[in-house]
Amino acid sequence: MKLLATFFLALFTVASMRAEGPEQTGPAKQTGGGLDPAVLLNPTPDSWPTYNGDYSGRRFSTLTQINDKNVKSLSLAWLYQLPSMGDGMVRRLAGTPIVVNGVMYITVPDHVWAIDARTSKPLWHYAWTSKGGIHLGNRGVGISGDSLYFETPDCNLVALNLADGTKRWSQSICDLDQMYYASVAPLVVKNHVITGVSGDDLDRPGFLEAHDPETGALQWRWSVVPSPGEPGSETWPDADAMAHGGGMTWISPTYDPELNLLYIGTGNPQPVIAGTGREGANLYTESIVALHADTGKMAWYFQPSPHDTHDWDAIQTPVLFEGVMEGKPRKLLAQASRNGWFFVLDRETGKNYVSSEFVKTNWTKGVDAKGQPIPNPAKEPQIPGVLVTPDSSGGVNWAPSTFSPKTGLFYINATRSFSMFYIYDDSQKPEGWGGHGIGVWSEAMLQAVDYRTGKIKWSHKWQTPGGESGLLSTAGNLVFAGDPNNNLVALDATTGNPLWHVNLGTGMSNGPITYELDGHQYLLVGAGDKLFAFVMN
Amino acid sequence: MIHVMRSTCLSFLLTATLAPLAAAGHAQSSQLPEGAHRDTVQRVCSSCHSVQMFTARKMSREQWGTTVSSMVARGAKINDDEFDQIVGYLATTFPLNGEAGTGAATTKQAKAPRRPSLIDQAGSDDKQIVDEDAAARGKTVYIAQCITCHGTRARGGSRGADLVRSVVVLHDRYGSTIGPYLTQGHPKSKPVELTQEQVKELSHFLHQQIGDTLRTGPYNNPLDILVGDAKAGKLYFENTGGCAKCHSVTGDLAHIAGKYAPPALQQKVVFPQNRAITKQGTASRQLVTTITVTTSSGTTVTGEPLNLDDFNVSLRDANGHYFSFACSPELKVEKHNPYAGHEALLDTYTDKDIHDVVSYLETLQ
Repeated sequence: MKLLATFFLALFTVASMRAEGPEQTGPAKQTGGGLDPAVLLNPTPDSWPTYNGDYSGRRFSTLTQINDKNVKSLSLAWLYQLPSMGDGMVRRLAGTPIVVNGVMYITVPDHVWAIDARTSKPLWHYAWTSKGGIHLGNRGVGISGDSLYFETPDCNLVALNLADGTKRWSQSICDLDQMYYASVAPLVVKNHVITGVSGDDLDRPGFLEAHDPETGALQWRWSVVPSPGEPGSETWPDADAMAHGGGMTWISPTYDPELNLLYIGTGNPQPVIAGTGREGANLYTESIVALHADTGKMAWYFQPSPHDTHDWDAIQTPVLFEGVMEGKPRKLLAQASRNGWFFVLDRETGKNYVSSEFVKTNWTKGVDAKGQPIPNPAKEPQIPGVLVTPDSSGGVNWAPSTFSPKTGLFYINATRSFSMFYIYDDSQKPEGWGGHGIGVWSEAMLQAVDYRTGKIKWSHKWQTPGGESGLLSTAGNLVFAGDPNNNLVALDATTGNPLWHVNLGTGMSNGPITYELDGHQYLLVGAGDKLFAFVMN
Repeated sequence: MIHVMRSTCLSFLLTATLAPLAAAGHAQSSQLPEGAHRDTVQRVCSSCHSVQMFTARKMSREQWGTTVSSMVARGAKINDDEFDQIVGYLATTFPLNGEAGTGAATTKQAKAPRRPSLIDQAGSDDKQIVDEDAAARGKTVYIAQCITCHGTRARGGSRGADLVRSVVVLHDRYGSTIGPYLTQGHPKSKPVELTQEQVKELSHFLHQQIGDTLRTGPYNNPLDILVGDAKAGKLYFENTGGCAKCHSVTGDLAHIAGKYAPPALQQKVVFPQNRAITKQGTASRQLVTTITVTTSSGTTVTGEPLNLDDFNVSLRDANGHYFSFACSPELKVEKHNPYAGHEALLDTYTDKDIHDVVSYLETLQ
């Protein structure tokens, strides 16, 4: 196997060296070959090798063949529909496809397909026999060497042979009986496969793990909620609350190779709505956390929603980029958080530079010395209801935002919404959710935020509510977004002006990606059970 | 929790409102049962999520109405007729304890009925299926043997562990782990002596308690929301809130409190688009949002919008005629939103305003 990987790597290297020149024909490259994890440090433009395309989470492509001048000429290359599994289920592509060596890897819960990225011809399909778990969505795969990794709803990390989809091994990563499930796209960092966990129906603590790529063995585990006596435990009332404190790791982390730090956003504390049994800030739920990639030890944290009681998971991708703050070049991290706030931090230290609202909210009393919002206790859920904006779905949900280093703008497919938040369980020890938010009004807009100030540079309001697709920005001065009416829209990244659209018939169910094959730039989006590949000819 | 994703419709996944869904394993192979308007449900709902998510849920007409209503807020394109069809199908096909169509309002006084909960979807496929009768017998075992230390809801206390969150209980199947634990490992005091049958019944009771804790459980209903000052609410209605500009307590709002239970009444005030189910069991009707399109030549068409985005606007006029236009700078589109007044209040309400005005409206029996 190792030999095979080396062979692939050699081919890959040759291919990379010859990648200049759009129409080059050279020695035949093996389609579907493996991926040296070192290449993840500088992904080639013919690939989209991780959930976010690279480690930074920017979802920005340097490709310019498709640009603001010619995007109107984009045409359909192929349309792929997931095959029926004969059970009457219509499945939804809720993850980001991975593209490596001309092959695309897509998932729905329990299923992985490899298809030819040029033609959509299916190459192989793997089906996992499930023992249960919530089959809501799967975010995709991770790849390293000649292996592919994905998580299953019934709490397994599964490794497949990249070439033919046969199983190498599987490893349990959570306990179904405790109502965890698994949906995250694993992230490969060096010799670690990083896995997160999902589920917040029963009060359980969240965690992030690293596994051995060859065997699946556990290398380290970081618990989101501390144990008694550890730092952060002072933000919980007692050991029992900590043991059930929540904080799921729903979305893949990002990674800075120089600092060797992973960045992960953590989910809501539990019980979710009724917070009376967990007084305090409830660290490290609702936090952006930096972890040493080889040990899982925490370097720093920043908490967007201290003591959350509105289900505002702070799991949105921590986006990494370089910028100037206070007159000096800095290594920065930004997050558009579900609670309606936008943050820019120094990713070496966690120091806060910007905290601003990207939609108007009504739940804070300003920010503290660290730049963290201070929740207004009057806006915690109450028995007779309290009006809060945003609602539980948040100013933005899981679907990825994007940052363009070219415009300096951070783009958010945002929602402004209200709910009445009720306490349903007024006992001394609420468990589970213990309440609910109900609201029936929202509006949707694409927000472009200047990272230096947090100010909205431009806002494009969609005509109707809904939507919330993921985003992609490119060096062609474009932002690609889904609107609430099933349109894939290309907008001028500088002005927000819509330049091109196509109606997909179904709402986009993931974030768009782009890559270049044979000298042609492709744009790929999923909508329901269909994948659309557009190409510039 | 992530929702569709509105997560998008994920976003519902991460979203909180909807209990996630899609049933796993064997349930996946089931089609939606036959029933009037099943096609509407398939067509409208499946664009965002698997319709199989319904099959493990049981709710009253009122609760289904709230759920579908919240989907409208998340972008589902449903007219009044379709709304009634969808809620009708769901309430008939997946009723709460066979109460299809009664629209029984949930009140604090009403005995909370049991219904299958999220535990039917979350967790493993081989999870214990609670036998309600056995659970009832198990409850008597629990009261006799366990309640003193473990509490009325089995959530524990200073003298006993929380059994709802107990991993021993979560791993249990029909007594498989709690039986051995009780005879060998029960801490401190004496081992508990129960018959095999009693252990099994106790197991059913404890698993029932776990299900009840989840967010689809029987405790998850509004409590008393009438905390406002009706007098202050009257003032707000007539003055500050500007409600009297459009509404009359002797006209359109006469006897409004007889139509809606308090939680629904509050939702109708704050979110009039909420198609809250009335005490009489019907969905509340919606005012029609219309648009007027004026072409470059000056012709105008007014009707209900069917599509409205940056590129196309389509509508059906009062005669049922369909019109579709490509958007351009010359094409003028004017929206007539009958709820604009309510929407403007979202940014100005205090919570006291809301509670006061609802308490005032509650006097309109």
